[in-house]
Amino acid sequence: MEESQKILKLAVSIGELMLKSGGEIYRVQDTISLVLQAYGIEDHHVFVVSNGIFATIHEERADRGSMVRNVPLGSVHLEQITELNQLSREIHEGQLSLSEAYERLEYCRRLSQGKTWSRLLAGGMGCVGFGYLYGCRWQECLMAFVLGVILQCFLMVASRAKLSKFIVNILGSALVSVISFGLAALGLVFLQDKVIIGVIILLVPGVALTTSIRELFNGDYLSGCIHLADALMTAACIAVGVGGAVRVFQMFGGAGL
Amino acid sequence: MILQVIASMVGTLAFAILFNAPRKEYFFCGVNGGLAWLAYLLFIRAGVGVALASMGATVILTLAARGFSSWRKCPVTVFLITGIFVLVPGAGIYYTAYYLLMNDLAQFSAKGLETFKIAGAIALGIVFGFAIPQRVFNKIGKR
Repeated sequence: MEESQKILKLAVSIGELMLKSGGEIYRVQDTISLVLQAYGIEDHHVFVVSNGIFATIHEERADRGSMVRNVPLGSVHLEQITELNQLSREIHEGQLSLSEAYERLEYCRRLSQGKTWSRLLAGGMGCVGFGYLYGCRWQECLMAFVLGVILQCFLMVASRAKLSKFIVNILGSALVSVISFGLAALGLVFLQDKVIIGVIILLVPGVALTTSIRELFNGDYLSGCIHLADALMTAACIAVGVGGAVRVFQMFGGAGL
Repeated sequence: MILQVIASMVGTLAFAILFNAPRKEYFFCGVNGGLAWLAYLLFIRAGVGVALASMGATVILTLAARGFSSWRKCPVTVFLITGIFVLVPGAGIYYTAYYLLMNDLAQFSAKGLETFKIAGAIALGIVFGFAIPQRVFNKIGKR
């Protein structure tokens, strides 16, 4: 492979990984440009949307090259973004050779998703925190913890089974609602709505909403719309899941609704 | 109120873990979330509406996230994404769905509109938060 092709591949691969772990469009675009410039490719065009990267270099020369990557919306990994950002900064300062940069990229790619138990615990703790904010008392907080762990467990199994995101959101919120309405019917909790609100925060599209707003106001209308649609669809799915559970309990004349 | 702020810090910290934030930034993510909720509470106590309070708190969250980002040399998303969850209208989504299914259409439209208003307010908050030029924040990094 020619030198320029290697550089292009490095730059686009860094951008791809960054985009996949939830980096902003402008950051990805700037990173690819910076890497290309750092290795002496001034003549380049980069176009990034939420789920794809297009780049060409040296349009006028014999060693011209172009690259297209399809990048499906992935799960957020902030450490990866941070490490890749650091990597691109070091490349920009001219500290790294091409092969060193490739090694660092592989290191970033291998950053793990964190331990299972710590993610489960984090899910539970998060639900307790948010449950408390929404007005849970101690017995509801306890329920929120248990439900949070259950939901997080469900999410992890679902992502391993590669279930559709919409189905995951509908089933996840329905699961939480059914369990807490069930417990309310048994008289174990009283503020079941607060418990549900505290727990479905794990599904709420906060990331998609934030990114879409920033992209829209940066002028990246296409990416902004993709993320906005993602946020709205996710919110609708949560509503459907909760609503379905409420309806089922209503039909059976569930007490305390 | 102190307990509430601690709860919001715990919640934010949990999201920092779930989103694999760099370990050394966990604490600052939590502080940012706590700050946003504290601001929200103070705005509510001062008597402004839910939407305006969300906007004000989002501006503060965004500015703090940018400050942390310059100081800690870490992308702004790390602090912004984890902190935003304390303000996102999760309750609004729930009540909107609930009232629709209970066929209480007056409450449904009220809650639905409120949810959209809060989402819009958060949007404006982020935009205003990013309106201040980066130069201001670069000074924090240089110190």
